Amino acid sequence: MVIDFPLLSLLLFTPLAGAFMCLLFGVGNNAAPRWVALLTAGGVFVFSLLVCLLQTPSAGWLLYEDYRWIEQFGIRYTLGLDGLSSVLILLTAFLQVLAVLVSWRQERAPGVYFALLLVLEMAAIGVLLALDLILFYLFWELMLIPMFFLIGVWGYQRRFQAAVKFFLYTLVGSLCLLLAVISLYLLHGEQTGTYTFALEALKQTELSTTQEMVFFLCFMAAFVVKIPLFPFHSWLPDAHAEGPAAGSVDLAGLLLKTGVYGMIRFAFPLFPVAAQKALPLLAGLALVGLFYAAWVAFQQVDIKRIVAFSSISHMGFVILGLAAWNQTAWEGSVLLMVNHAITTAGLFAVVAMIEQRTGTRSLDQLGGLWKSHPNMSAFFLLFCMASLGLPGLANFAGEILILIGVFTVKPLWAVIAVGGILFSAVYTLKLVQGTLWGSHCEPHDKRDLHSREWLVLIPLGALVVALGCYPQPVLDLLREPLGSLLLVGGMP
Amino acid sequence: MNLESLQSLLPQILLALGSTAILLGGAWVRNRRLWLLAGSIVAILAALTATFVEPVQIDILGMYSASAYARFCTVLWSLTVAATLVISFRYVDIFRFGGGEYASLMLFAAAGMSLLSAATSFIGLFLGLEVLTLALYILIAFRHEDTRGAEAGMKYLVFGAVATAFLAFGIALIYAATGTFNLQAAAAGLQAESGLRPLGLAGWALLLVAIGFKVSLVPFHLWTPDVYQGAPAPVSGLLATAAKGAVLTAFLPLLVMTGEGVADISAVLWFLAIVTMLVGTFAALSQTNIKRMLAYSSVVHMGYLLIALIVAGEEGSRALLFYLVVYSLATFGAFGIITTFADENGEIQSYDDLRGLAALHPRRCAMLSVFLLSLTGIPPLAGFFAKFGLFQAAFRSGYVELAVIGIIASVISVYYYLRPIIVLYSSEPALVCRDVAAQSETLLLVGCAVVIVILGVYPAPLLELVAQIVP
Repeated sequence: MVIDFPLLSLLLFTPLAGAFMCLLFGVGNNAAPRWVALLTAGGVFVFSLLVCLLQTPSAGWLLYEDYRWIEQFGIRYTLGLDGLSSVLILLTAFLQVLAVLVSWRQERAPGVYFALLLVLEMAAIGVLLALDLILFYLFWELMLIPMFFLIGVWGYQRRFQAAVKFFLYTLVGSLCLLLAVISLYLLHGEQTGTYTFALEALKQTELSTTQEMVFFLCFMAAFVVKIPLFPFHSWLPDAHAEGPAAGSVDLAGLLLKTGVYGMIRFAFPLFPVAAQKALPLLAGLALVGLFYAAWVAFQQVDIKRIVAFSSISHMGFVILGLAAWNQTAWEGSVLLMVNHAITTAGLFAVVAMIEQRTGTRSLDQLGGLWKSHPNMSAFFLLFCMASLGLPGLANFAGEILILIGVFTVKPLWAVIAVGGILFSAVYTLKLVQGTLWGSHCEPHDKRDLHSREWLVLIPLGALVVALGCYPQPVLDLLREPLGSLLLVGGMP
Repeated sequence: MNLESLQSLLPQILLALGSTAILLGGAWVRNRRLWLLAGSIVAILAALTATFVEPVQIDILGMYSASAYARFCTVLWSLTVAATLVISFRYVDIFRFGGGEYASLMLFAAAGMSLLSAATSFIGLFLGLEVLTLALYILIAFRHEDTRGAEAGMKYLVFGAVATAFLAFGIALIYAATGTFNLQAAAAGLQAESGLRPLGLAGWALLLVAIGFKVSLVPFHLWTPDVYQGAPAPVSGLLATAAKGAVLTAFLPLLVMTGEGVADISAVLWFLAIVTMLVGTFAALSQTNIKRMLAYSSVVHMGYLLIALIVAGEEGSRALLFYLVVYSLATFGAFGIITTFADENGEIQSYDDLRGLAALHPRRCAMLSVFLLSLTGIPPLAGFFAKFGLFQAAFRSGYVELAVIGIIASVISVYYYLRPIIVLYSSEPALVCRDVAAQSETLLLVGCAVVIVILGVYPAPLLELVAQIVP
């Protein structure tokens, strides 16, 4: 399918245009920016939904753009969209609409706030589309700045420490990535005489085993910090706990996904041999993280931190699936990633609502919300059940695929991982019990869900059920791209 | 000297004549803003002349050149001075500077810088540098009733005088060894195996010391933080950008032409670059005064630029020029913001004064963040491609160790550049409430920030321009 009109650039720059409009209209007007943001995010969502619905599952690029950009350095503006990126872009666009809705009542500098949210969306979409390594790196870094300010300016008490921690962790990782990208570029230039950052060209670079391993580790440094994989996770709970609700939704829904996407799209295909060698290590860290995060989550009293640690635990599961290196497990991993984004976004949204009504996030002070706020509690229960992997709800489908995929390769890993699901049940049930039942707390706001909150929770709840019962459409989109990406590694 | 050479030196002559005219006029009409405006118009005129009036001859009396490269530098420094004058509008009123003197000295400095970067002989170089330094002596001490200002002026004077002595002595030795004042010939003469070679090398060593003082390389950097802190903020801005850039660009053609001739020197430069980057970085970490922090940051950036000098060749010079422009934009912007925050009580310098300012002045604080993040090298700001080009050139030419140290220094720099930003956005209420910036100041600084963002997204035009004018 060749379309001359630069659809991808349109998709990419719509949020940016929206961001400028937010800034423009935000001067002296508190209501305009959120409407602009909602319209922009909604437009991007509809557009990406159309792209997903209209495409036929096939290999290769559905949409592709390639322009000259900075010829002096051999950098091109190359964007490509396949099934994998379209699924993740749809997810991004969907969650961004909710993020705008969640922060509807933003009082502090709403113009800048919504502009930052939209810039973040643009950067995330850019990461999912870019096929030139420098372009990818630019978007990758661009995600940092809005997130830094969202946490650092609109967060809670200890937001500065959290923002700086987030910034430093991810920046160090990204710089490793940059170093590897430049070295790879120079090596490729020396070998072939053409200096380029194009992904396809760089895949052909001949590397010695050591070189490949070093480059692979540098790439992974950036990605595992973002995911985050144990033991590089310590920035995440702080960023979640101190960040605003929309920040948490974006962090869980957008940023973490880009790490896994980077591994699948860049690190594995560029360095297949090194990737194969590193798989056991990756699986080991994923398993340790799975249990460790679950254990720490069990110890927490702040419900937002519990959700944050559950996020790390689930991402461990995703990485385990990748480490199995077969079609079933990979499909499961990406599916779980999507499902996890939706359930976690739902959990963070409800947590924010609970906090608004009770003024606390501490398990010690919460309890008995089921009686006072039945509707809100029902949604909370639904998301919690999905999060612990109840069959028929979203996460289960991904987890079972991962387990099947892993079992065919390394049965032991799968057996251990099943234990992880048990662990997640333990802390999730504690979370549910502590907030919904038990001793009654005194919420100062007795109102149950109001219309805007219904608007946020209904789509999330519907998706959790729908993806749990019938994940096939997503899997159809993923099959061909993941299959061809797996082939590059040349392993069973 | 004939008419042709005068015509070719037109931009510099414009600057010098304008400077004199304003100095004389300033004695009669005591209107600060008028003279500042006149000064910036003269500087812009000089920049326009340099761009559009073709020089009649390239080589002027064997002392200066009017090549595209020299003209480019002239434009750069003239525009910097014009911008400095515009940014000082409110500042000179607040501190009751003599407007005529201030504008005249700034133009004088611009003439000096443009002569310096156009120099092809040691005489021309010495003249240009002295013109610049003399103007700076006075400009730095403009707030002489202020203790820190007087201290800064004194420090710069003493160090500057010593540096001048080194320079003069170095030139004398090189002349003795090679028998020529021409820069290229002297560099080539150094290579020739003659009995006077040690003498020439000693001369170059002395010359390096002088340059080290001027561009504040470690271990000759000790004056920098004190002078930057005490000098008026716009002057510090000029000092950190154009004044250093002019010295570096004066030596750039030398290194491009004779990659061989400076082999001995580049070993020394290699050592200086590493020490400068590391010492500057670690000294910057503990600063709690934004002007001092920017002083050390300028030391570190000079270390980066030394890498480009060592890489030499076409690639090194392109990287150096691009980096210099981007660095100057950001540093000028940062000092510009500090200038706009000044009021009768003085300048905002310590981080405690910056605390919570973003709530009161969101636009200026956002711009300061842009400038500092560009200095850090965070994409999509211009600083990223500047560092990218520089380190890439170093990698390609086999100076991996320099590039790696540079990158490590950049990572650490995140800490000291983020600190003021974090303080700005702190939730605590601001201790001091500052005036609203003048429209012209805001416009100029917004312009800087926009150029930084545009160059960060699409640097190709500047890269092309730089590639064309490399000597």
